[in-house]
Amino acid sequence: MTTELFDLEVSVNGETIQKQIPTHLMLVDFLRDVLDLTGTKEVCGEGECGACTVFLDGLTVDSCLIFAVETHGSQIATIEGIADDETISRLQQAFIDHHSVQCGYCIPGMILSGEHILKENPYPSQSEVISAFAGNICRCTGYHKILDAVEYAHREDHS
Amino acid sequence: MKYYCPATNSELLDLTTHLQGDEYSILAGGTDIVPRIKMGKPLPQHVIDIKKLIDLDGVQISGTEVSIGALTSVEDIRNNEILKRHLASLTQAAEQFAGVQIRHRATIGGNICNASPAGDLLPGLYAADAEVSILSKDGIRRQSIREFILAPEKTTLKPGELLYNIHLPITGRNSMFYKLGLRQSMAISVVNLAISWESSSTGAIHFSLTSGSVAPTVVYLKHFADAVNSSPRDLDTFLPLIDKDISPITDIRATSDYRRQVLKNIVRHELKTILEAPVV
Repeated sequence: MTTELFDLEVSVNGETIQKQIPTHLMLVDFLRDVLDLTGTKEVCGEGECGACTVFLDGLTVDSCLIFAVETHGSQIATIEGIADDETISRLQQAFIDHHSVQCGYCIPGMILSGEHILKENPYPSQSEVISAFAGNICRCTGYHKILDAVEYAHREDHS
Repeated sequence: MKYYCPATNSELLDLTTHLQGDEYSILAGGTDIVPRIKMGKPLPQHVIDIKKLIDLDGVQISGTEVSIGALTSVEDIRNNEILKRHLASLTQAAEQFAGVQIRHRATIGGNICNASPAGDLLPGLYAADAEVSILSKDGIRRQSIREFILAPEKTTLKPGELLYNIHLPITGRNSMFYKLGLRQSMAISVVNLAISWESSSTGAIHFSLTSGSVAPTVVYLKHFADAVNSSPRDLDTFLPLIDKDISPITDIRATSDYRRQVLKNIVRHELKTILEAPVV
């Protein structure tokens, strides 16, 4: 089959990107292999595990289920866009303070899902956090510390 | 894979007419089609992304019905106040639907056109006697959802047609949804159930029950509902009638016998809860 190409223009972490890409390229592969933003991970590749979670126009999505061409004209934020050069986000600091990271592979997706719920509700209850993380799997099974970090991100001082 | 992203309905219809004879796939949220491609289904020759057709997105009341644009996301359905009031069975199903990343992308139109026996938005739509409108070059045709869905992955949608809107009559009936999955989230239903009913001065009456994952399409538990509506107090004795309307299969999630038994258990429990609720 001939590879069809597409001229994609998309904003990633605030930077406008123009690239010619194959139409069948998945968003996660575009981010990792074309833009070298390897913070976003792919594990299951079928939308079950949430390791590839990114923000697309402000909403969390699984980047393994989206063709990069679908994001033409959109704004994407990845884990690399959560912190700037000097400071990390409140939630990232809470992950450190709560020792939420074991192998770390699921963590970029966890951080983005956490940032999403905190944007809607800075003081989520434990059950709200649990249901917001239904689409994120940690195979180290370190869930308690991850969920605690999200629940307490704004309840504690993480300076 | 040739990718198209029409900006207007007429652009879309021109495109589907132009492509007639060629194989094309309509792409909305992609949460069903992409996993299938990854599991070995060949890439479609042409993909038409309909997400830019903004008039297909959103919920509104028009006259005596609620209309839902086919591109309305499951997350928006979950949070929609109009639907919470008029069709709780649909918002409750959306509440338990996958995880938030999938709900942000998955659309109600996709869930209908995918026509899965386990599609969680479907029992509520059947229970509400929903209709769908379908756009083509010839205009718009309307069909009840129970006639639109023919079999797993089969609908009456023809090439050149697009599922456009979903219409729910405003009836004042109450409804609820129950899902049995192997885990609480991210699970495909082993069985699911929607019940709708009317509130009267004596309590709940006129039940309608629909169930998914127990037959090739969502089914009405008609024999049981007719019996229970004539004599609600005897519902336990009518439970075997449920077998007349279902034909469950054994698959990786459960056996046929289990589905038959567990559906009866759920129906009994949920109906008793509704019948015993205090009259407001």
